[in-house]
Amino acid sequence: MAWIVGVDTGGTFTDIFAANPETGETRCVKWSSTPDDPSRAILTGIEELSRLHGIDLKEVTALAHGTTVGTNALIQRTGGTVAMITTEGFRDLLEIGRQTRPSIFDLQADAPAPLVPRIRRLELSERVRADGAVEKPLDLETLPSLIERMAECGADACAICFLFAFLNPEHEQAVRDRLKELAPDLRVSLSSEVQPEFREFERFNTTAINGYLQPVMEGYIDRLADGLAALAPNATLGINQSSGGLMTAETARAFPVRTALSGPAAGVVGAVHVAKQAGKPNILTVDVGGTSADVALIQDYAPDVAPERDVAGFPIRLPMIDIHTIGAGGGSIAWFDIDGLLKVGPKSAGAVPGPACYSRGGTEPTVSDANLILGRLGEELADGTVRLDKEKAIAAMMPIAEHLGWTVEQAALAVLEIVVSNMVRALRTISVERGHDPAEHALMPFGGAGPLHAREIAAELGITEVLMPAVPGIVCAQGLLVAEAREDFVASRPMVLEPGCEDSVASEITALAGRAQEWLVGVGATAENGRTSLVADARYVGQNFELRVALGETPMGQEPDVPSLKTMKEAFFAEHERAYGYANRNAAVEIVNLRLTGLVKGHDLNEAGLGEADGAPKTRGSRPVWFNGDAPHDTAIYARPDLAAGSVIVGPAIIEQLDTTIPIHPGDEAEVDRYGNILVRIAS
Amino acid sequence: MTPLDPVRVEILANALRSITDETFVSLMKSAYSTNIKERKDHSTAILDSEGRLVAQTMASPIHVSSMLGMAATLRARYGAPDGGFQGIEDGDLFVANDPHVAGGTHLPDINLARPVFHDGRIVAFICNIAHHADVGGMAPGSMAGGMTEIYQEGLRIPLIRLFRRGELQQDILDLLLLNARVPREREGDYFAQIASCGLGHRRIGEVIEKFGGDAVEDAFRQIIVRTGHRIRQGIAGFPDGRYRFEDFMDDDGCGTEDIKIAMEAVVEGEKITFDFTGTDPQMTGNFNVTMNATVASVCFAVQALLDPECPNNQGLLDAIEVTAPNGTVVSAVAPAPVAARANTCQRIIDVAFGALKEAAPEQSLGASNGANTTLVFSGVDPRSGEAYVYLETLGGGLGARATKDGKDGVQCNITNTSNLPVEAIELEYPLLVEEYGLVEDSGGRGKYRGGMGIRRSVRPLDHTCSFNGVGERFRYAPWGVFGGQDGQPGRFVFTDADGTETKLVPKPPTSDLRPDQMITVETPGAGGYGPETERPAELAEADVTSGKVSA
Repeated sequence: MAWIVGVDTGGTFTDIFAANPETGETRCVKWSSTPDDPSRAILTGIEELSRLHGIDLKEVTALAHGTTVGTNALIQRTGGTVAMITTEGFRDLLEIGRQTRPSIFDLQADAPAPLVPRIRRLELSERVRADGAVEKPLDLETLPSLIERMAECGADACAICFLFAFLNPEHEQAVRDRLKELAPDLRVSLSSEVQPEFREFERFNTTAINGYLQPVMEGYIDRLADGLAALAPNATLGINQSSGGLMTAETARAFPVRTALSGPAAGVVGAVHVAKQAGKPNILTVDVGGTSADVALIQDYAPDVAPERDVAGFPIRLPMIDIHTIGAGGGSIAWFDIDGLLKVGPKSAGAVPGPACYSRGGTEPTVSDANLILGRLGEELADGTVRLDKEKAIAAMMPIAEHLGWTVEQAALAVLEIVVSNMVRALRTISVERGHDPAEHALMPFGGAGPLHAREIAAELGITEVLMPAVPGIVCAQGLLVAEAREDFVASRPMVLEPGCEDSVASEITALAGRAQEWLVGVGATAENGRTSLVADARYVGQNFELRVALGETPMGQEPDVPSLKTMKEAFFAEHERAYGYANRNAAVEIVNLRLTGLVKGHDLNEAGLGEADGAPKTRGSRPVWFNGDAPHDTAIYARPDLAAGSVIVGPAIIEQLDTTIPIHPGDEAEVDRYGNILVRIAS
Repeated sequence: MTPLDPVRVEILANALRSITDETFVSLMKSAYSTNIKERKDHSTAILDSEGRLVAQTMASPIHVSSMLGMAATLRARYGAPDGGFQGIEDGDLFVANDPHVAGGTHLPDINLARPVFHDGRIVAFICNIAHHADVGGMAPGSMAGGMTEIYQEGLRIPLIRLFRRGELQQDILDLLLLNARVPREREGDYFAQIASCGLGHRRIGEVIEKFGGDAVEDAFRQIIVRTGHRIRQGIAGFPDGRYRFEDFMDDDGCGTEDIKIAMEAVVEGEKITFDFTGTDPQMTGNFNVTMNATVASVCFAVQALLDPECPNNQGLLDAIEVTAPNGTVVSAVAPAPVAARANTCQRIIDVAFGALKEAAPEQSLGASNGANTTLVFSGVDPRSGEAYVYLETLGGGLGARATKDGKDGVQCNITNTSNLPVEAIELEYPLLVEEYGLVEDSGGRGKYRGGMGIRRSVRPLDHTCSFNGVGERFRYAPWGVFGGQDGQPGRFVFTDADGTETKLVPKPPTSDLRPDQMITVETPGAGGYGPETERPAELAEADVTSGKVSA
């Protein structure tokens, strides 16, 4: 018997999800997070998994983890003391960045100060030219004095960032080798290893962030790995990357910047898994928590990937699942702006003091209070372990109602309408504005508060189907179990696509394939589960931004086909047409980066699923629920564990479960599939 | 009908913002000009049945002023005596760019407006504006210095119809395209703008169908009224009084020097007026500004000081009154050349900040780099034999603020374009960047220090290239406030093969540069805030240890 375990650390709870692919059994534990050291909650939670469900931890073969340690260190600025060694004449490059401000109107708003202040940005004489040739040889004479400077500043990590190191990494490597001799305890990050692509600011910044996170991530991974070795000695640890693939603990220690969006990316991977179960290839996801909502787009079971994203105000240039976040969640506060219009969020009551109805001292009206007032949330949550106070919710909402001259229910409905319109805007941004029609997608809400708002969001976007995962609160942990192992290899060599370039393209691909094969062998992949995927970042000559052009996949062990000039150009034109609506077939095209990604298929869960329903599901009583402002409906309450495969419920209804509540609006029809997911068809 | 409740208005406002966002992105994606596609030098807007601004997604407030200038021209031409319009039909699409007769601000910005009809009358206009890479005239790009009449700057388009009742006026389009240097590319830009108008038209139709025409028009009205009320409440927070300020621009590159911009702001309760009497007459060179761009610059300054989060619509613009005698540098009339107006708009904003500093000391700041410092290197690439032009505008210091230092090395005021990476420059052009960094001691000292300027040194590789540039605040330093010191002005320096350095004029005309020679630009820093004696010791020390300030 072998168990595999997925662990997702959230702000409030650590979710642990275990599956046994042989038997199809699944188990789940929720444990309070320990933000000062998240590994504590994980290890206790795993012990709990064993105690509650009788799982022998020696039988756990893999543990996959989505971590927020890196993200939080960036947000809270609690990383290490990182220094930088860069090309002479360019030490301020990191501080100037792209010379832009976050807002043109706000005179007080600045981009965050660089993680490496000027005093720790040091220079060495060296220079490589745009063709990779050495303009000025590297002078290591002054390195000992730089080491002294770093020691005086208390630096515990060093980012080595030279111009054109993505073309010629020799100078960076020479400095690293010498540092290893002279300062063996100093952690080192090379721009040519962290992100070997052109555009120096993004590369330097990504490398600096890597150095900044190294001390934090090392300690964390070590504690987790040690604890795990003691509890579950046969489990290999995999860490989720922002791109939605797993890496080894060792890689995570060396490249912690890859975990910047580890947690949310796991959610989207989990959503893909649920989408496959339900046979719905095109999905818009909305993951609603207490403070924010993350939205993403899935097309043909694949999430959209962005080449760069801001995390905590810093641009990070690495492939990441394209997740758009807005300040809208259960704790979002309703307020009147100076011009008298009602707003909801981005300010949130958070976990403390929390929504008024949680009786933890919150007095401002929130989205959760509105849901409680309308009866959409019950007064008991999580099987009665959490009690909500409707009187407190009403008291908090009353000023809004009085200001509008409305009933408290009408005010609560207004709060929901506004928060929904904010989420709709975010979803339009990632769909309509990128050439996708939301009406051709199903909406998948998850997170504790997602299902509460899904129906209204869908209606606004012309979406007719809402897919509610079986356990919306653990989609992230589930995603970790099925995530693929992934490693990206990149060659950043601008090449114009013209006759004669085929040989250079071929030799780059061959070199990448060699590195990918070595990695695949190293992680124990086979021809059955390992493969490579080739992508070119291409653009018209003279443009400044590239499009990702997919050039096919190859099973492990086979040499990737070198695409012909015509194939590459046609693939670029097709992508340009999709993204921008036209393609100029006469203009010159260039490749900026070639990317080969090694992938190893994740676990197949073979979930046992639910039994077939015999007859209508039983109800657990009823309560009045407001679906509109006129009058409440007397609404049947169902418990999700009572539902079986094939159960059909026609709204109005409320379905309650441990981690969420699902309102089924009047006339809508909800049907349970064999995996326990609910597909809601919206009444026209 | 009864007025909409504030919830409905907010939801409609959200829907309108979605429309301007979507049309903005669609224009960006389908355009051809690098300017539009990658620098996002374009804006989109919804105007109401009177041509008043309701919602926008903008690259620059100057764009918005052009769209409104075009609407004012429409009103002057087609306004009905009892409000509304006559002589415009469903499916008409207007185009214009001229600053002197059609409300524009410079010729490369092409304006489109399409009326939206409902129940047989106009209820809105869908507008967009985009900076085309070329509109003809004396020099490629239609922006070069040295032009002394608008006729040299490119094709002047008055308010004309590009579509009549849904039908493209091909002869008009042919005329527009023949006057641009790369007609095929410009045709792509025009069609991107046309398609964006069409998309906005469709989307506003969907909103009207869902909420009803009356409700949408009531939302338009309330959005404007509520914003006006909001901004006037803010203005009432300024102490009543008369606030004067003046500043000088270095020169216009055509012989006019020490160009004065003078302003008096008068605050009376919730009313504010700005009067530019005393400003110098319009100049020979192309740094002149038409009145509507001056209004936009002043409104930007007021919003930035008072309420950065305030929605930008007619309510804001109507709360602020701006006057100037005809024919000054801030109220230029035909045939004044205006292509480089952005430099002057930056300075108008500095002057407005200077005037209002006593009224809003907590929000104000020392003068920023106040310019669009521009470098142009051109020549023939010895690697390919092909001609190249590398143009870049650099930021500099941002003024010190009441509670913190000014930001070092950023764009300021209404400019926020990004730089080109060093690696992108060198991959694309036969140039070597020798240095890119902050200029030590360029931030004006004070309780809080002004931001630092940027230094960039460039030399050609294996060939002789041409260089020219535009600098402002190269003689008139960015001033400090409340006892803060001035920041350092900018400069262009030519370094000869033997290491001799020569300071160039602020607007150096085109000259040759050999591979053993080098051009260095140092952009202006920014003014400090408060006396240096009050500077917190730890900040002063950090400046010295980091080398930002010499001991």
